[in-house]
Order: sequence, then structure tokens, then C-alpha cells
Amino acid sequence: MNLSAQFDFVRWLTALDEIRPGKSSFLIQPVKDQETRNQDIELLQRVGARDLSAFAEFYDKYASLLFSIASRILHDASEAEDVLQETFVQIWEKADSFDPKLGTASSWAATLARNRSIDRIRASQRRARLQNEAGVENATIAEDGETANSALYGLEKAKLIQSALVQLPAEQRQPIEMAFFSGLTQHEISEKLGEPLGTIKARIRRGLLQLRDKLGDLL
Amino acid sequence: MIDERMEELASLHVLGALSGTEARQFRKAMQASPELQELVARLSRVTGVMAGAVPLIGPPPQLRAVVLAQAAPRQRTAALPPPKFRAALFLPWAFAVCLAILCAVLSTHENQLRQRISAETGQIGAMNQLAQTLQAATNDLQRTVAALQETNRLVNLRIAMLNSLVADAPKTVAVTLWDNQKQDGVFVAQNLKALPSDEDYELWVIDENQQPVAAGVFHVEANGSVRMEFKPGRLIKTAGTFAVTQEIKGGVASPTLKNMVLAGN
Repeated sequence: MNLSAQFDFVRWLTALDEIRPGKSSFLIQPVKDQETRNQDIELLQRVGARDLSAFAEFYDKYASLLFSIASRILHDASEAEDVLQETFVQIWEKADSFDPKLGTASSWAATLARNRSIDRIRASQRRARLQNEAGVENATIAEDGETANSALYGLEKAKLIQSALVQLPAEQRQPIEMAFFSGLTQHEISEKLGEPLGTIKARIRRGLLQLRDKLGDLL
Repeated sequence: MIDERMEELASLHVLGALSGTEARQFRKAMQASPELQELVARLSRVTGVMAGAVPLIGPPPQLRAVVLAQAAPRQRTAALPPPKFRAALFLPWAFAVCLAILCAVLSTHENQLRQRISAETGQIGAMNQLAQTLQAATNDLQRTVAALQETNRLVNLRIAMLNSLVADAPKTVAVTLWDNQKQDGVFVAQNLKALPSDEDYELWVIDENQQPVAAGVFHVEANGSVRMEFKPGRLIKTAGTFAVTQEIKGGVASPTLKNMVLAGN
């Protein structure tokens, strides 16, 4: 199949998908995701150019995701609101520094919200308690129910993502979640789980690479 | 080709689990490796969707307005196009430049004033010195003039010894001190004999024309002494001789020569 034929095929699939809303084909999903990523990049570029309407659009699209992340990490709605405000101020001021080569707009914004939340925990007296909780609490990633991803990607894709995440072995998922949602360093995780540092590193690496491979074109 | 170690570091990096030093070193390595950048981008997308796998909790609706309101003031400031001329941006700089120029002008003016003050202070000092010199010269002149006046006064003074012309009073002695400039003088005599109550002694100044001019009458004390300041009745150009005659009480207009008791020059 030559390039032109490929283009026509993809366009046909896209058109078909538009005719059947809510019944996305897995084949055309990468095209849509790429479009979404491009739209996000353009949106952030407009935010970087101080376009308030673009900023409002970005807020509408990602506020739920960021607030959910902050709420999960902080376990406090009021503090999560503060973090959401701070994160969006940071997005407003640093949008022009976003580099698409290093990730998507959503992962960039999610990392900002995550880092803000972790910073807030570290600045407070709650770090020790949350660290303790991190070792004993149930898995952070919900196995069912509506997730922040469903608001962002739609229910179908969110379920695929959720499925990939929950299928991850617990020994890999746990240190990943402890690092990402509790802000623990590799040494702290090693200590908390009573596993050698090298083991922790290897589990984290394998877990993330596995997720990368499983999610594949969804990313 | 990325080895396992770098994959581990990339994984820990996207999870924020590297220490500060490790994270800096990794970022440095990543900048030099597009392949590593691609891996990090892919893993970041994994953490992005993992972050979104948390239960959905929507933010309070009113928060949207708060967030947008926080961005709006920043928008007004940030949206100003830097290359274009904007009076609001330029004004503070212009004001600063004007102030700088004004300061420079005032500083120059101040320096000029200081120089003028310094020069004029120097001139005043020189003039004071000159004035002091002149004052000293004036004082010298005044002293010289005073000395000259004193000399001149002494020149005009005339001291005359008057001798007794009568045989029965040989010890009588008299002196006149005459100031020709002031046209007055002092007469002092001793050992003059006492006169009857109806007679007086009369002093005469004989001028250059040998004309006697009455200079006053006097009466002696019991001890024969007398001191009298006198001033002739008319101008004496040059006093030639001084004489004393014995006259009737109150004196006479012309001397009685046969009664002359003292004379001298």
C-alpha cells in the first residue's frame, strides 16, 4: 500500500468513526490521539501567547484530571483546590516552555499538578504519615468506576488504560504508585518495602516499560 | 542503544523518584541523546495516563472563575508586545533618563558654583589681605602724620624766658609757652612781688611789627607765684617778645613802659 492509499484508508476509517459516534475503532484511535495531541500542543502555544480563551479551554479540558490527581495525593479537597490554582497559574506562565518532544500536554500538566501536590506534602508535617500510608494502603489506581482518564479520553479508552494498569503485577505497580503518588524516593521505597534498591529500580523499570508496551498506540 | 541502567534512570525520572543530583545528571544525559528523550517522552505519557487512572473528582465550579481571574491580570502585563513602542513602558525609562540628565546638569552646575565660590573666596581672601596691608599702611601713615603733627606742633611752640627788669626783685623768673598755631599760651612766674590792691600785672605779646598786644592781667599769690593761660586779643603772626608791666587795676590798652617788670624772648 502506497502512502496515498494509506492516507485514503485512514481518512475513510476516520469518516466511518465520525458516522458512528461512541463506537471508536481501535484502528483509527491513533489518528485521533495524534490529532488530540496536536490540538493540545496548539492550545498550549496559544496559552503561551497569553490567549485567555485558550487558557479557559485548557482549564475546561484538564481541570478535572489535575484536581483528581491533587485530591488523590493530598487527601484534602481544600488543599487540592489550592494546588489546582497554583498549577494553572504555572501552566499560564510556563506554557511557552512546554516541549512536545518530552511528552504530551496532559502528561506535562499532570506532572505539574503531581509535583505541586508532593511539594505541599513535603512542606507540611504530613509527610511521615503519608509515607506510612503509602506502604499499607490499597492500590491507588481504581479497578472500576469513573476515572479522570474517562473524562479526558472517553470511557472506552479509559477502560483500556485501566485494564493495562490493573494487570500490572502488584510488585511492580506498588513502587511505581509510591513514587508517583506519595513522592517517595527510590531509597525510601526500598526501605519501606524492605527490598534491595536494585530490585526496586528494576521493578519500576519493568513496570513502566510493560505499561508502555501494553498501552502502545493509546499513548 | 539505551542500556538497562539508563532505562531505570528514565523510569525513576518520570516518576520524580531521583534525587536532586541524580535528576540533574540525568537531564544532562538526556539533552545529549534524542533516543533517551524519546524514551522519556513515552514513559511520561505512561505516567500521564497512570495519573489519570485515579477516581474522577471534579473541581468546584466556582474555581474556574478564580483561576481565570488570576490569569487575567497577568495577561494584561504579559500580552504587551515587547518590540513595539509603548508609552507606558517607555515613560518610566524616559523619566529615569530625564532624572539622570537633570542630576548631571545639577551636578555640573554645582561644580561650577563650587569653583566660583572657591575662586571668589580666594579673591575675598586676597582682598582681605590687601585691606589689612592698606590698614597697616594707613596706620603707619597716621602714625607718621601724628609724628609730623607733633613735630609741626613743636615747631609752632615757642618757649620764652622772661627776666626781671627791676632791681629789687632779681629772683623773679617767668616762662611763657606759646602755641602760634593755636594762638594761645601758658604763663608761669615765681617770686613776683605782691602788688597793691589797686594794681595788676599785665602780660603783653610783642608781634613782628613790635606792636604790643595785651594778653591778660593777673594778680600774684602771697608766695609770688602765678600760672595763667592766655590768649591775645588779636592774631599774632609771629610772637617776638613777651613782657609783663605793672598797671592800674584791670589793665590798660597800651603798656606803661616805665613800669615793665619782666621781658624776654
